[in-house]
This record gives sequence, C-alpha cells and structure tokens, in this order.
Amino acid sequence: MKKVSFFRTGSSGLLSWLSFRRSTARYFLIVLLLLALPLQAEVAFQDLLKLPAENWLSYSGDLTARRHSLLKQINTANAGNLVPQWVYHVKESKRLQGTPLVVDGVMYVSHTNEVYALDARTGREIWHYRHAQAKRHDGNRGVAVLGERVFFVSSDAHLLALHSKTGALLWDKEYGGHEQNSQISATLAPLAINGKVIVGVTGGDCGIRGFVDAYDAITGKQLWRFYTIPGPGEPGYETWGGHPVGISGGGTWMTGTYDASQNLLFWTVGNPGPDFYGESRPGDNLYSDSVVALDADTGKLKWHYQFTPHDTHDWDAQEFPVLIDATFQGKPRKLLVQANRNGFFYVLDRTDGKVLLAKPFVKKMTWARGILPNGRPDVIPDMDPTPAGRVACPGIKGASNWFSPSYNPETGLFYVITIEQCDIYTTSARPYKKGECYDGTGAEAIPAEPGQFFLRAIDIQTGDIRWEIPMVVKDTMDPWPGTVSTAGGLVFFGDNEGYLSAADARTGKVLWHFNTGQLITASPMTYSVNGKQYVALASATDVFCFGLFEPMRPEATLKEHYEGGGTKQGN
Amino acid sequence: MIALPGAYLTMQINWIVFGLLIPLLMVPAIGQDKPPEKKIANPFDKDKAAVETGRVQFNSGCAVCHGPTGQGGRGSRLADIERVRKMPDARMFEIIKEGVVGTQMPPSPLTDNEIWQLISFVRSLNLSAVEQDVPGDVAAGETQFFTQGQCSGCHMINGRGGLLGPDLSNIGARRSVDKLRKSIENPDALIEPGYSSVEAVTLDGRRILGAAKNNSNYSIQIMDAQGKFHFLLKRELKSLTHHKNSLMPAPSLSENQKQNLLAFLSRRSLETAAERDRRIEHGKEIEP
Repeated sequence: MKKVSFFRTGSSGLLSWLSFRRSTARYFLIVLLLLALPLQAEVAFQDLLKLPAENWLSYSGDLTARRHSLLKQINTANAGNLVPQWVYHVKESKRLQGTPLVVDGVMYVSHTNEVYALDARTGREIWHYRHAQAKRHDGNRGVAVLGERVFFVSSDAHLLALHSKTGALLWDKEYGGHEQNSQISATLAPLAINGKVIVGVTGGDCGIRGFVDAYDAITGKQLWRFYTIPGPGEPGYETWGGHPVGISGGGTWMTGTYDASQNLLFWTVGNPGPDFYGESRPGDNLYSDSVVALDADTGKLKWHYQFTPHDTHDWDAQEFPVLIDATFQGKPRKLLVQANRNGFFYVLDRTDGKVLLAKPFVKKMTWARGILPNGRPDVIPDMDPTPAGRVACPGIKGASNWFSPSYNPETGLFYVITIEQCDIYTTSARPYKKGECYDGTGAEAIPAEPGQFFLRAIDIQTGDIRWEIPMVVKDTMDPWPGTVSTAGGLVFFGDNEGYLSAADARTGKVLWHFNTGQLITASPMTYSVNGKQYVALASATDVFCFGLFEPMRPEATLKEHYEGGGTKQGN
Repeated sequence: MIALPGAYLTMQINWIVFGLLIPLLMVPAIGQDKPPEKKIANPFDKDKAAVETGRVQFNSGCAVCHGPTGQGGRGSRLADIERVRKMPDARMFEIIKEGVVGTQMPPSPLTDNEIWQLISFVRSLNLSAVEQDVPGDVAAGETQFFTQGQCSGCHMINGRGGLLGPDLSNIGARRSVDKLRKSIENPDALIEPGYSSVEAVTLDGRRILGAAKNNSNYSIQIMDAQGKFHFLLKRELKSLTHHKNSLMPAPSLSENQKQNLLAFLSRRSLETAAERDRRIEHGKEIEP
C-alpha cells in the first residue's frame, strides 16, 4: 500500500524542526509548515479582550464578564424558531457547571478532572483528556484558552496545560497544597490574560487560607501569589482578632475579571471561617467577602472593597464583578458592577473601589438598612446566627450566587438570576480539626417558606428593577441557572424547572423555551460556525446546542473507499 | 418539517440512554464521595504461585467464554485492556463472586482465596509496560526518540514533539511491553482511534489529507499535517478514502536501539506506582 509520505516529515514543534535540520529539503518544508502554523486556531491575548461574536474565548465571553455577544442572527423576531441541533452526553456527569468555550469551530467542555474537545457544529468528539490521578472529584467550571493551549484545574488543585489540538498534557503544576491540607480543592475556570494564567482555590468553608496565583502560560512557572487573608504584620491582619491565618477561609473559587486599561485583576473572595460563628474572629475579617483589585504583573493589592464585613451568613462575594464602561451620574466612568449574595446591587468606581450606588435587589433583606456613604453597610443589630437558630434574609444560597449575570450595553440593563429567600441560621463554637470542615454549624430553609427564583433586569444607573420574570414553582432542588445577553436583543436564561428560555432584553417577554428534562446547573453561551449562530448550555449531564430551524436536506450519496476492504455507501 | 421529528427523536434516545446509565452511575458515585475506610486489596497481589493457581482455575471455568489467554470470545476480553487494568480489586472480586446480572456470567463457586488467585492471573494478563522490568538504556532511548529516531516529529511527550501521532506521555501505563514492541515493529498492526489516515475531496474540489479524529454517518473530523482541523459534513464531500496503513513508517532500528526506545517508552507514565496502587485498592473504576 502506498503511504502518505507527506506526514512522515513531521509537522510541528521546534523539536521536529531541530531533528530534521540536517536535511535541506526537509528543512525547507518544515519552515514552510511552521510559517503556516500561526494561521491556525491560535488565541491571542487581544482576542480575549473583545466582546464575543463567532468565538467564545473565556468563561464569560470576554474578560469583563459582561457576557454579551455581538451575534444577532438569532433575535427577537425569530427566537421562536430555535430547535435542538445536537446533544453531547458527558459520561458520568451529574452537575456540569462550566461554560463551553468555542475557538474556530472547536468547543471545549470541562467536567470533573477532564476536558472534551468537540466539533461545535455537530457535537462529535475530537479528543478527551482525563486527569485520572486526581485525588478529589469536585465539580469543575471550565477551561481557559491562550495560544494553542487549553488550561484547566484538577479537583486537587493542579493547574494543567493541554495542547488544544490533541489534548496532550503539556505541563501539570501542583499549586494548591492539597497534600498538606486535603480540604484544599479547585473548581474554577482559570483566567488567561497576557502570557499569564490566573487561578484560585476552593475550600473556604473548611479551614484554608485563600489565595490568587499567577502562572506563566508557557512554562507553568509561578509568577506571584496574593493571600486573601493577611499574615502578621500585613495590613488587615488586625481585622481578625488573632484568629489563625491558615484556617480563616477567604476562598477564591470563581474566575475574576481583568481591565486591560489599568492592567488590574478583580478577584472576588469568599466567606471567613468559621462560616456561622463570628465570636472567634472579632473584626471586619479582611479580605473575606471582598473584591480585591490586583496588579496583574505583581499581584500587589491596589484597592479592595468589602461587601459584607464580619460575615456570619456565608455570603461569599463570588458573584461576577462585571466591568462596564459607561456614563454614570453624568460622567464617563470605569465601573465594577455586582449583584452580591448579601442582597445589594453595587456599582463601584473600579479605579479606586469607591461605592457609587448600592441598592437592594431583593425584597427579603433583614441584615442591613442600606449602604452608608462611606461604603459600609448600615447593619441591623442582632441578626447573627444563634445556637437556637435565627431567621435572616437573604438565605444561604444568597440573593444571587456564582451563576453568571449579563449586561447589554444597548439596554443598559444587568440581567441576574435572583433568589428571594430567608433561612434559619444556627451557630456554635467549633474548634478547628484538621481534615474536617470549619463551619460553626449552618443554615436551613424555613419549612413553610420556600424561596423563589426570578430573572431580574436591573438598570445600572439607578439600581431599579425594570422588569422581572418570576419562576412559579418554589422549593425546587439546587439549580444554578445563569444568563447570556446578545446583540439580537435577547437574554437567554435557565430557570429552576429545567427550562432554557429566551426573553426580549428590553421587555422581559419570553419568546422561546426548551425543557432540558433536568436541572439547569450552569450558564448558557452563544457562538457561530460557518455563518450559523448557535446557543449552547453544558448543564447537568449533557451539552445542549440550539440553532434556528432549517429544513434538513436529504443526505447526498457518498462512496467511502476503504483501502484493502471494500466501500461503504453513504445513505 | 423533516428535521424536527428527527431532532426530537435524538433527544428522546438520549433520555433513554441517560435513564439506563443512572444505575451504573450510582456505584462509582458512592465510591467517589466516600472512599471505603477499609482497604480492599488482593492479598496475593503479584505472587507467582498465585498467578499459576489462578491460571489453572481460569482454564477450567473462565476460558470457555473469555478464551484461554483472555482475548475474549463469547465473553468480554480480559487481557491487555484498559478497562480491566484500571478496575479496582474490589470491583473485580465482586464481579467474579456475584456474576453479572443479565449476562451469561454466573456467580463463581470458588472460595474467596481462589477468587483472589484468579484475579492475580487476570492482572498478569494486563501488566502495563511501566509495571514490567524492561531492560535497555533509557537515556539512549530518549535521545533516539527526540533526535535521530524522528519519533518526536509526530509524537509528543510531556509537551515536546509533534501532533500527528498519539501523545505518548502516559504510554507506559496504557500498553503492555508486547504491544509497544509490536507498534514499533509494525505501526500498521494497531492504529489508535483518532489517528487513522483519510483523504477527503470536497464537492468544490479541495483535497484534505489527515488523521480522522472522529467519523460518523453524517460528518468526519480531520486534522491535517499542519494541525489544522477540517470538520466536514459527508454531504459536502465528493469522495472519502480511508487508508489502511498507519501514518507512521516502520522505523529502521537495530535490536539494541529498539530495546533502548522500548525501555524509554515503557517508563512514560503520568501516574506514580503509589497512585496506581491506591486506585486499584480503593479507587473508582475508570473507563479509558
């Protein structure tokens, strides 16, 4: 049989080039091939900064987390014609929580300790990488891409770099310290910026010291670390009353955002530990429940803002810190907008962290009367948990949580899944025990008062709710439904009943819905291939893909020729 | 009008498949959340006498379906296969002891010790290269791989090398020495899924040559020599030829060079021996 000699020369990588350097003819060919390589699906840093259109290159579409796509083939006039295009079942998955990325027709989907590359048009698998040696099996929220690399974290807090074409493992960097503390894990989608990959850790309920880390995207070398819990001698240490630094929490379990104009990262920090018992940690407990603005080159803190000082309700600040440039209060400003778990909608000036606006976006709110001009909450006394249990609102799930909000610059509206709920919070002094969680008891639902989910559209200028879509069924299991906004004037959102729906972004009128038959546990995204727009959701156990209905043409007759073994007639 | 019912049917089939999977998913899920406190491991492990006793047991009760060397017949294949290699001891014991409901695999009448000896034998059929003592000069094999052998033109190990052939960073844990040797001597004997050679001609006359990453009735996904993906619908093609041979040429190596290369490749594993043992003793069953 004739072999295809073309392949034998090798094709890529400096090593292959070096290995063939003695042969002039091959040298020439390899140089030609190498010149051709940058044309392939390389993701440049500049690409990551653009609002998403054909490609969806980071967890939130771009590094600002506005989650607004420029695609408008699917729009308010035709959204009703959306139909399923394909479904990809992720083996063994139960609660997929990631957002798929799409690079030039290739979709990357993550699950616990594994990544899949799919043909984004057909849902057929290209490669699959499994990190079988991982020592934990937590959920995973997705991958990052830069150059020809795909980055993701394993559950035992390794940062892994895979080749985007083959899924080959390029490097494996243990970063979390899981061997020293088995409660340290990782679940976030890394954030890739200029030559760097930024990650955080999960485990703030279980006695860890949170941090944000930066690694060189090429070598995996650590560049800097920022601890979210200050050590002795550092500013903020005095806000803990001497509580041991190493077990104070401050997890960094969600992806941050990045402002290229200031070269600043905005990373959100989780609850202080123990979650529900505050007496052992008198003070504000910096930088728990805060957003920290970090210099992307050094990891140095530029400013911070703490949403919930001395939290005793597990109100992690992990909701997305969305970066919006807009005229605000009569002045063009760089804003950071967040609908926090504690029930307040915040607009900050992201150059200095000053609060410009803070207003409740839930009615069920019992812990603070408002936010004072100095940015501190006007706290209502005696709302901390008690040994017998005390009702407080929002509930433990928060007024919102990690699932994605979105922002449409044309409507000026911020779309966020909101939960109106109160819970009973209980506390007890609990000594830290290595290997166990450090929670100081917990919270539970009030039996006769289930929470209710809403999609709310908040005017960022005023914090007013312009429209809302209530979800009629209360008291469902734990859904985590998010949103995506498009230039087609749509907002796609999941609900607590398993539906993926599309609403008119201006009016909140629902134009399309699809029953996935299972819980929605993630946020949708959109992309296009060969001029056709798709909407995808990796949720529960499957990746679902939708597009506008087109009548299917009969399959053409294709003769497939098998060397040495007959032909297969296409149907 | 034509697409709609078809699409919905696909969805329904998916739900049915999902429904069938639920019971299967339960078992690993329990193991995953709470690893068993007590370690369940084969007391005979790799003991040579146990392997031989197990071989006798295997021939008298198992070979009828699984084949005397475990290559599979009426029953599933048990030799040199990832599924069995990665199966924890406890799971293998359970399958032999209880049988498999809904199949012809009956519960075994053997004593517990006899079952463990049988497991020692089945394990011996699945020794991966990294678990075997492979002679040869590893450093010379590495040099061979990355320079004069030209292997890294197409194969990658720990981020170094090309894309056209399978990544070999973990090949020592995935293949037996025999299979590795066979792949070097005769690359056409065993072509890894996703790396077979195809040539497609599109309706507009473009000729695309590369490795078929995936192939189905309605689409094919090809990576060409430049590492570029071509995701094609079958309806867009004029012709499609599946080449019989591997893209890899048979290297001309001396016996000594071959042995060195084998020694190097046999030691490529992403999992340490301790990690492997822990998985076999406690761990979750992992599909390849």
